[in-house]
Amino acid sequence: MTIAELRTRFQDPTPAELQLIARYGELPEDGRRARAFDAFAQSGLPHRRLEQWKWSDFRQSIQSIEASSAQSGPRMAPPANAIVLRFDGRSWDVPDGLPDGFRVFEKDTAQALGNAEQLPMAALTASQTGQPKTCDILQIEVSSSQERPVFLDFAGAGREMAFARIAFVVRPGARVDVIEQHSGGAGLSAMLVEFGLQKGASASRTLLQSGGHQEATAITGLVSLDEDSEFQQTALAFGAKVARIETRVRYSGPNAAAFLNAAYLPADGKHVDFTSHVWHGAESCTTRQLTKGAVPDGGRGVFQGKFHVPRSVGQHTDADMQHQALLLENGAEVFAKPELEIYADDVECAHGNTSGQLDESALFYMRQRGIPVAEARAMLTEAFIAEALETAHPDVLQTLLDASRDFLRGSGE
Amino acid sequence: MLKIENLTARIGEGDEAKSIINGLTLEVPAGEVHAVMGPNGAGKSTLAYVLTGRDGYEVDGGSATLSGEDLLNMDPEERAAKGVFLSFQYPVEIPGVPVMTFVRAAMNAQRKARGEEEISAPDFIKKAREVGEKLKIDAEMLKRPVNVGFSGGEKKRLEIFQMMMLEPRFAILDETDSGLDIDALKTVSDGVNALRSPGRGMLVITHYQRLLDHIRPDKVHVFAKGRVVKSGGPELAEQLEREGYDGILGEPV
Ligand SMILES: Nc1ncnc2c1ncn2[C@@H]1O[C@H](COP(=O)(O)OP(=O)(O)OP(=O)(O)O)[C@@H](O)[C@H]1O
Ligand SMILES: [Mg+2]
Repeated sequence: MTIAELRTRFQDPTPAELQLIARYGELPEDGRRARAFDAFAQSGLPHRRLEQWKWSDFRQSIQSIEASSAQSGPRMAPPANAIVLRFDGRSWDVPDGLPDGFRVFEKDTAQALGNAEQLPMAALTASQTGQPKTCDILQIEVSSSQERPVFLDFAGAGREMAFARIAFVVRPGARVDVIEQHSGGAGLSAMLVEFGLQKGASASRTLLQSGGHQEATAITGLVSLDEDSEFQQTALAFGAKVARIETRVRYSGPNAAAFLNAAYLPADGKHVDFTSHVWHGAESCTTRQLTKGAVPDGGRGVFQGKFHVPRSVGQHTDADMQHQALLLENGAEVFAKPELEIYADDVECAHGNTSGQLDESALFYMRQRGIPVAEARAMLTEAFIAEALETAHPDVLQTLLDASRDFLRGSGE
Repeated sequence: MLKIENLTARIGEGDEAKSIINGLTLEVPAGEVHAVMGPNGAGKSTLAYVLTGRDGYEVDGGSATLSGEDLLNMDPEERAAKGVFLSFQYPVEIPGVPVMTFVRAAMNAQRKARGEEEISAPDFIKKAREVGEKLKIDAEMLKRPVNVGFSGGEKKRLEIFQMMMLEPRFAILDETDSGLDIDALKTVSDGVNALRSPGRGMLVITHYQRLLDHIRPDKVHVFAKGRVVKSGGPELAEQLEREGYDGILGEPV
């Protein structure tokens, strides 16, 4: 199909969308790629007229995609024993000497994406990856529990665009710990990370995101949980011009559990969107979700969370969703939409949503003890954020706490 | 030491404003412990907040000085560094900040403000252990976030722990005895007595004679409607216990 024909699928394409069409046009033709691109074309870059994107307008934020300068913001050092997989904005670099029970497959053709219509940015990734001689899709099979954490280093390396996919299949009873660093560096980046946990498997995912003031970034996590499996996610995001971290969890077997913790700290001019969707498609599954944010003047945080509990299969669901935001200064913005959609009758589901300021009486108490007001504010806010980070991988927990401390004490950025 | 002259203070602004302290004069010389008693709502806690600089408490007139230094123009943290300590009537929870972290931050902030060296970690831990033992505070409690989930009595005990750690020049104890069981009252009083020294003053706000049996005050002041209406020796507290405020003040207050 020619570029001109492709253009007609978009309504009034923006310069950025034309760039995406052109890039797509250069990739080998493939039915799966075409289906993903069709799904993306239905909305184009997501914008505020789409209910799911009303607070995170990618189309508006990036009129045209420009090469970004190098990375900024806090970074994690890979743990000494980590299996480090680096994505340099174009291609994955896979080290030699992988441990037993950990197999990496490089894919050089486009891979299918289920639910693509509901996930425009993931559909974009699916349509822009999978090409010969460039390794931008990895599939990893974990067939025995891994001692060594897997460290995924996503970098844009000063490019216009960066797209990568990685999928973990964790075989029954196996365990893997994944640490992800998303440090921006591309004008537009869209990453897709998938976890398929089989019976009794478990995985932890710790994620640190930071991006530049001119960058747009979308990180989509798709998690499918079979019987007795357990998934634990901890994310700290500093945002970008616009950043969306979306997680979709689907239970397909009973007695599985997911723990989703997140913290957002957007500086002036930055935007962080945490969106999640949990589908309780099996009985007796447990979800615990805690999202916290602290936002200064000019920063913007978005939380959209949804638990969906279908009538027949969702019985004995136990789910709790909490979102708490601190507005540190006038001019801070937080938008939140927690949703419980429950059709089963024998369930325990709860949610809470607060946003406000630091407790004045706690501040006074601290100052009465001699702690200067700025320090008191920072201590209270750090402690508030730290609660959402407790579940981070122990090897990087301190780095995450330090990063949030630096931010809250004004030396962030 | 602490000298309050003709102090007038209100809570709130504009139409909401309410005058609570009405021309209060009080002096606590160095080395002395004075008790303040008075009916509910008399303005005892308000005085404590005015002296420590809480937001929302506005001074309309008069003065308050500590060793000749004007307290009322300082930020709360400056007053703390000058040695003013308040044991709160209702201690506040500080979620996520362990007691040890908190007290060390407070101690070092005060020291820094005074131009002194920070305390070393081993010295701090040693001191915390000693004070904790005196107050019969479980070491585990000191690892928990400040006041979170503490019982009423534990909170009060923790206030005194902080006081003994920080060694203030002037301490205000606002109903530290309420909520303490009989043994704890003794333990806490012993702690307070241990801090009595020629250079230190204390103002002990209480409703009960019992505390004053343990901490013998040099003077007792009776507070009503934001003023000192009667002052005397320890026997005044005993008389209050027998006769009530109506009896002492000669008219209903
Ligand atoms: N924030 C406030 N807004 C309005 N009125 C207040 C406020 N705080 C205190 N007051 C009022 O000020 C008066 C004095 O209160 P204060 O707490 O100082 O009394 P107190 O002498 O400590 O009493 P108690 O013995 O019950 O502790 C009371 O009438 C109280 O209702
Ligand atoms: Mg009171």
